[in-house]
Amino acid sequence: MVSDGPALAGTTPGGQPVRFPGFDVLAQVDHWDPVTAGVVLARLSLPSPLRFFTVAEEGIAGALLDHLLDQYEDPRVPVLQMIDVRLTEKQTDGWHYADLPEDGQAWRDSLRAIDDDARSRFDASFTECTGEQQKTLIQAVQDTEGKPWHGMRADRIWSLWTRYACTAFYAHPWAWNEIGFSGPAYPRGYKNPGIDAREPYEVRDHLPIDPTRETS
Amino acid sequence: MNPAETGPGPLSRVTGGLRSLFDAHDGAADRVRGRNESAWLLPNGQGRTNHRLREDMHRYSPDDVVDAVIVGCGAGGATAAQRLARAGWSVVAIDAGPFWDPDQDWVSDEAGSHHLYWTEPRVIDGENPVPLGSNNSGRGVGGSMVHYAGYAPRFHPSDFHTHSVDGVGADWPIDYDDLRPFYEAIEGELPVAGQDWPWGDPHRYPHRAHPVGGNGEVFQRGALAQGIDFRVGPVAITNGRFGNRPHCIYRGFCLQGCKVNAKASPLITHVPDALAHGAEIRADAMVVGIDVDERTGRATGVRYLRGGREYRQRAGHVLLAGYSIETPRLLLNSASKRFPEGLCNDFDLVGRYLMVQGAPQTAGRFTQEIRMYKAPPPEVSSEQFYETDPTKPYKRGFSIQTVSPLPITWAEHVAGQGHWGEDLRRYMRDYVHWSVLGALCEFLPQARNRVTLAEEKDRYGLPVAHFSYSQCENDKHLLKAAQQVMEGILTAAGASETITFTRNAHLVGGARMATDEHSGVVGADCRTFAVPNLLIVDGSVLPTQGSANPALTIMANSARAAERLVHTAASR
Ligand SMILES: Cc1cc2nc3c(=O)[nH]c(=O)nc-3n(C[C@H](O)[C@H](O)[C@H](O)COP(=O)(O)OP(=O)(O)OC[C@H]3O[C@@H](n4cnc5c(N)ncnc54)[C@H](O)[C@@H]3O)c2cc1C
Ligand code: SF4
Repeated sequence: MVSDGPALAGTTPGGQPVRFPGFDVLAQVDHWDPVTAGVVLARLSLPSPLRFFTVAEEGIAGALLDHLLDQYEDPRVPVLQMIDVRLTEKQTDGWHYADLPEDGQAWRDSLRAIDDDARSRFDASFTECTGEQQKTLIQAVQDTEGKPWHGMRADRIWSLWTRYACTAFYAHPWAWNEIGFSGPAYPRGYKNPGIDAREPYEVRDHLPIDPTRETS
Repeated sequence: MNPAETGPGPLSRVTGGLRSLFDAHDGAADRVRGRNESAWLLPNGQGRTNHRLREDMHRYSPDDVVDAVIVGCGAGGATAAQRLARAGWSVVAIDAGPFWDPDQDWVSDEAGSHHLYWTEPRVIDGENPVPLGSNNSGRGVGGSMVHYAGYAPRFHPSDFHTHSVDGVGADWPIDYDDLRPFYEAIEGELPVAGQDWPWGDPHRYPHRAHPVGGNGEVFQRGALAQGIDFRVGPVAITNGRFGNRPHCIYRGFCLQGCKVNAKASPLITHVPDALAHGAEIRADAMVVGIDVDERTGRATGVRYLRGGREYRQRAGHVLLAGYSIETPRLLLNSASKRFPEGLCNDFDLVGRYLMVQGAPQTAGRFTQEIRMYKAPPPEVSSEQFYETDPTKPYKRGFSIQTVSPLPITWAEHVAGQGHWGEDLRRYMRDYVHWSVLGALCEFLPQARNRVTLAEEKDRYGLPVAHFSYSQCENDKHLLKAAQQVMEGILTAAGASETITFTRNAHLVGGARMATDEHSGVVGADCRTFAVPNLLIVDGSVLPTQGSANPALTIMANSARAAERLVHTAASR
């Protein structure tokens, strides 16, 4: 990691071994326009206390999101808090499926549903289950695909969870550091597009593992 | 002619020749300035908005009976506003969303651009429900073109006769030739950059093609190896200065609103000229009803909510341009004694024949770094598969284009493959190695694909749109065929693996144009059959959609409707 930058320079979620060592998208902040910088830097500030999720939902959603995003170590992108803000402010995409309620209610209903699954399958609440048991329950929802699950179509709930999770996680500059994405580019723009071409501040992929050639 | 020999290379290999290339076409810019001065009315320095022009904007009183009130300031509405204002009409164009200032209101960031989309509640249904929001429609002056990608192809002549020629879809009451002069005019005003176009009605573009980034290079390389013809463009992005609009800086955030003023949207291509000719843009005002005089059968104006109060704007003509969902919804919500089932809905046609294009995206994994985010997503396209191929079991076709999703959109793509947890993160860490192509499949218009009113109400107290969509067999064939072609291109370019994510794009239809009131809502000149001084000038009127992105056609058709309106009004 970079040693001479500000604290947490080049931070990646979980501080994982990095494919883009030393790459720090925040080192470029002086080159961003102020409005964009304001929006992105706000994601680094202390998350506000939860307002949407109840205490019971907080435990379930927190564990669910940790698994969906493989986030078990600090520093963590505060996805639970980011989603809580969106749902509190009703910052949804507006649309909902005819057979599902709007997003906030669909979150509540689906969290309760996976908790019910935990109780009937492992005789424990979702938060009391082991990580492996939780993953089994999550996998079962995905495997239900287009079939009904507690009165909802499982694939639509799956898409709701992953959409919110991905939107929060990949909005965060730490996630950009992890994937080598240079983030905001106004007013500077890019000088070196093209295959295997990089800007001076971009870092080459040092660990180009093809995900399609590797099984977990 | 081999396009790879004539096409521009990657940006890194282009030297200082851009300015001289552009100058060769400068005459076209002068001609544009004579009929639409928008690009010259924008500021020349650092800022992107001519605040003075907005402050000096004419403001009509609701008691004024203006010549035309327009609902919606997007592709269709803003074009009509500019044309009518130029013709000396008094015009008020109302938009539900803000009057954007790109400097203050837009960011170079995916998640931070959520406010550009129409996110009022809507219900989606059918066998293949179509997610809306970020994927479909915009809100605010400039409409969906504020966050559209920027592809600006024309429709093909065949699109206007799919029913008589292919036995599918519908025939338009107008021909390609009716639109051609308007295509040319709008291409000059946006302006469009691209290589000479060989498909449909072959034509040239006012600006030279842009250099391409990694994703464009992959497409070119793969298509060449597969013997598939392709061209760079056509994109509504300046290549060189145009008026006071600067050159694109290749920052890749076109779908988040162009902070540079390089990518065209009506906010910068038509609204400034409309203001300079006396039009008023009334932003942050939601139209909730169209008033029709029961006695004369004519529209008298619109009702709208602004700042918590209801107002009326009286007008000699009402033009609707609220997008393919809001336009039908507004008609259905404007029921009256004379129109109990909704305005202009005597024949149960309002909201029907709504179309989306099937838009599968296929991604390929490369050993090299592609870094597809470092260029405008719209770069290279092919219309080789646009027309009906008699050897295939399906009618009509598809086009192929570069799409280049940013990380959040890419993550949805990866998650859509079923990856989660460690798997998802591993794929995502590999982002810089992927290239993504998208297809646009010509899904056919069907009566059952429609907008109706839901039980649910929005914060204005109005029933929200219920939008139902189901694909037909032909649609499904096209999706498969397009995926195969994209996989072929990427594999030929050297991809070790491809993955495909099926999605939709571009809603049009819902109040279609036809020869009579038994088959459509408006006639050839976009006048509704039921109310003589009520017109619809957005994408809702399209009877078919081809496999071209629709914005250019929507603007050209609106420009034509406005011209016809001015002529008929003058000759009376
Ligand atoms: C992500 C994305 C990428 C796209 N890429 C392309 C592309 O590359 N090329 C292309 O050609 N097309 C593209 N499109 C589609 C294109 O932007 C639209 O087809 C086009 O803008 C539609 O024009 P319109 O006039 O019908 O509606 P819009 O441009 O959406 O304008 C409608 C306006 O009406 C306003 N409005 C609606 N209801 C009311 C009301 N009741 N009162 C007041 N105002 C109201 C809205 O706020 C909006 O501003 C893309 C769209 C999206 C979402
Ligand atoms: S890539 Fe070019 S056109 Fe697209 S947003 Fe950036 S400057 Fe504008």
